[in-house]
Amino acid sequence: MFDFLKKKLKEVAEKISGKQKEIEEEKEKIVKEPEIVVKEKIEEKIPEIKEEVKEVRKDKSLFFKLKEKIVKKVLEKKLTREDLEPLLENFGVELLEADVAFEVSEKIKNDLIKELEGREIKKGSEKEVVVEAIRKSLSGILDLPKIDLEKEIKNKKPYLIVFFGFNGSGKTTTIAKVANFLAKKGFSCVLAAGDTFRAASIEQIEEHAKKVSLPVIKQKYGADPAAVIFDAKKYAEAKKIDVVLADTAGRSYTNENLMEELKKIVRVNKPDLKVLVIDSLTGNDAINQAKFFNEIGVDAVIFTKLDVNEKGGAILSVSYLLKKPILFVCDGQRYEDIKFFDKEEFLNNLLSF
Amino acid sequence: MLESFSEGLKNAIRKIIGKSSVDEKAVEEFLKELKVIFLQSDVDVELTNKFIETVRKKVLKEKIPEGLTLKEYLIKVVYDELVSILGKEATDIKGKKIMLVGLFGSGKTTTAGKLAYYLKRRGKVALVGLDYHRPAAPEQLKQIAEKINVKFLIGKDTFEVAKESLEKFKDYDYIIYDTAGRDALDEELANELKKLGEIIKPDEVLLVLPADIGKIARKQAEEFNKLVGITGIIITKMDSSAKGGAAIAACSVTGAKVKFIGVGEKIDAFEKYDPKRFVSRMLGLGDLETLLEKAREVVKPEKVEKIVEGEFTLEDFIEQIESIRNMGPLSNIISMIPGLSLPKDLLKQQEEKMKKWKYMMQSMTPEERKNPEIINESRIRRIAKGSGTREEEVRELLDQYFKMKKLMKSMGGIKGLKRGQLEQLMRQFGLRL
Repeated sequence: MFDFLKKKLKEVAEKISGKQKEIEEEKEKIVKEPEIVVKEKIEEKIPEIKEEVKEVRKDKSLFFKLKEKIVKKVLEKKLTREDLEPLLENFGVELLEADVAFEVSEKIKNDLIKELEGREIKKGSEKEVVVEAIRKSLSGILDLPKIDLEKEIKNKKPYLIVFFGFNGSGKTTTIAKVANFLAKKGFSCVLAAGDTFRAASIEQIEEHAKKVSLPVIKQKYGADPAAVIFDAKKYAEAKKIDVVLADTAGRSYTNENLMEELKKIVRVNKPDLKVLVIDSLTGNDAINQAKFFNEIGVDAVIFTKLDVNEKGGAILSVSYLLKKPILFVCDGQRYEDIKFFDKEEFLNNLLSF
Repeated sequence: MLESFSEGLKNAIRKIIGKSSVDEKAVEEFLKELKVIFLQSDVDVELTNKFIETVRKKVLKEKIPEGLTLKEYLIKVVYDELVSILGKEATDIKGKKIMLVGLFGSGKTTTAGKLAYYLKRRGKVALVGLDYHRPAAPEQLKQIAEKINVKFLIGKDTFEVAKESLEKFKDYDYIIYDTAGRDALDEELANELKKLGEIIKPDEVLLVLPADIGKIARKQAEEFNKLVGITGIIITKMDSSAKGGAAIAACSVTGAKVKFIGVGEKIDAFEKYDPKRFVSRMLGLGDLETLLEKAREVVKPEKVEKIVEGEFTLEDFIEQIESIRNMGPLSNIISMIPGLSLPKDLLKQQEEKMKKWKYMMQSMTPEERKNPEIINESRIRRIAKGSGTREEEVRELLDQYFKMKKLMKSMGGIKGLKRGQLEQLMRQFGLRL
C-alpha cells in the first residue's frame, strides 16, 4: 500500500540528505587540508575578492584576515534556502504523480524549507533529520480532529448518520460495513434506503442488510430520499434503535439539482453526522470533490478501496483541505474490512524507507 | 486555492497563445506548464515526459509547415499528439459480443445499460449480467434492461450464464456483457475474467474508467489488457470537474482508443468520443473553436445584414439571446471560452432572466416588438401584468435592448464574432465578465 508515494518521499529525503552530505564533506576537507581548500576557495572567488585584495595586497595581516573570513564562511555553511529550493523544485510535480494535489505538495515543500533552512546537521544523521522533517509536515496535514463515535451514539438516540459521495465511491458497501461494526459493538442499527434513483440500489442495501442481519426502511424508486430517511428516523425512535445509517444516491457534485436534493435531506432530517465517502483511487479531483461536498457540510470522511490504492495521495489532499476527522478506512471486500485510520501507522508506512 | 492555481496556468497558456510569435524560451515555458496540467489531469508521469519530449522535438527541431506561425503550430502539435493517443475520431463498435470490464464503482452496469440503449437503434441487443459478487448487481441489470425494453439474461453462476448467453442470443446483433468490478491484480477475480474471455471470445472488450480516477489507471489498464485484451475505452462520470486524463495512460498502454463518454446519470447521457471536446477539456483550454462554429451557425446571414443597416428590433434581440441559449446552458458556453469562469449563481440568475424576457416579449403587441420606442409607462404596466413579471423587470429588458442596439451599430453587425466582441455581447446581457 502507498508504495508509490513512499518512493517519492524517499527520493526527496535522499536528495536533501545528499546535499547535506556534500556540505559535510566540504567541511571535512577544509579541516583536513585547510590550506589547499582555502586556496581553491580563494581562486574560485578571485573575481569577487580581487577588488578587496587589491587594497590589501601589500598588507600581509589584512590578507590573512580575509583568508580567515573565507574559512569561517565555508566552515559555517549550512543548508540555505538557495540549497533547498533547487532540490525541491520538482517536488510538487513529483508528488502530483502520487495523486497528491499541487497545493498540498506546495505546503509540504514550504514546511521542509522552514524546517531545514539554517540547520546544522551532524554527519551521519542527515537522512534521519530530513525524514523527521517530512514526518512533521505530513503529521501536521493529518492533524485532524478526532471523533468518538461510540460516545456520540451513546449521547443521542437515535443517532442519524447520512452517507454521501460521488457515484461509485462505495457508499452502500461502506454503510453495511459501518453498520456491521456498530452492531458488533452492541448498538442496534437500522438502514435507510435513501438511494431511490439508481437501478437496484434498494435491493443492494437490502441484500447487505440481510447478510449483516439488520432491518432496512425503504420506499419505492423515485421516492423522496429525505422522506425515506425521515421514516427510518421515526422507526428508530419508536423502536428505540441506537443508530440510523442512511444511504443516498451517488451524485455528481457539479449537478446543482442533485446537490439541492442533498441539502434537503440534511434540512429535513438534521443528521448528527454527515459522512463523505471518497474513493481513494481518485486522482487530483479528490480535492474538488471534497470542496464541493463540503458545501453541504462534511463532519467526517471515509476512504474506500485502500486495498487497491498504492498512492495514498487522496487521503493527504482531502485531509489538508477539509481538516475533518477520518472516521474509517475500508480496505477489502469483506464486511470486516473496515478500520479506524491510524495516523502513526500511515506515516510509519509512508516513511519506512 | 485550486481555482487560483489552475487560473494561473490558463493565464500562462493564454499568454503564449496570445503572443504573435513564439520563441524558444516561450516554448519551454509552455511545455513546463503543460507538464503540470497533464499531471493535474491525472496523466501518468512517464507518459507526460515522453509526450513533452515529442512535442519539443517536433516544435523546435522540425520545420514549421508553411503558412503556420510557430504559435499555431505549437497548439496543433499538442492537439495532434494527444489525439493520436486517444483516437483521431470516434471508432465504432465492431462485432457482436461486447464485454465491459473495470474496477469497482467505475460505472460498468450503468454503462452497459447506456450502451444497450445506444445500440438499440441499430439492431437486436441483449444484456448479460456476469457480476455475482456485488449484492443486487444482477437485479440492477435487470431493472435497467426492463426500463429500456431490452432482453437480458441473469442467473447464478458466472460461467454458466456466459455459456447460456451464446446459445440464447445467437441471432442477436449485439450481446453486452457486464462483468464484476475488480482489482485487476486480485488473482481470483483475474482468473475469473480470463476464463470468461475464453468462453465468450468477445469481439470488443471495453475498459470502463471513471474520469476522476488517479494514476492507478495505468497499472490497472495494463493488467486488464494482459488478462483479456482491451479493444476500447469508455470514460464515465465526465459530468464532474474531473478531467479524465487517465484515459491517456489507458490508451497508451493498451493501444486502444476512447470510444464513448458517460456524461450523466440518465440512460441517454452517453456520447460518442469527440477528440476536440475531450482534449480541450482535459487541457482546461475551453472549446473556443466549437463555440465559434456554433456561433457562426446560429447567426443567420440575413439578420446580420439587417443589423448592419441599423435595423435591430426587440425581436432580433430576443432571437440573439435565444440563439445563444440554443448553444446550451450559459455555463456550458462560458466554459468553452478559455479563461472565462463565472460564479454559478450569476449564470443561473442570467438564465432565469432570459426566460422572463421571453415571457415579456410574448405579452407585447407586434407593434411594440417592432418599435419598442413606443412602449410607455402604461404599456410597461400591461406587459408586466401579462407576463407575470415586475415593471422594473420590463424596464430592464428595454434598457438592455437599447444598449444592445447601440452596441450593434458600433460593431457593424455580428458577423464573425471575435472573442472580445463576444465578451462584450455577453456583458451586454448583464453578465459582468
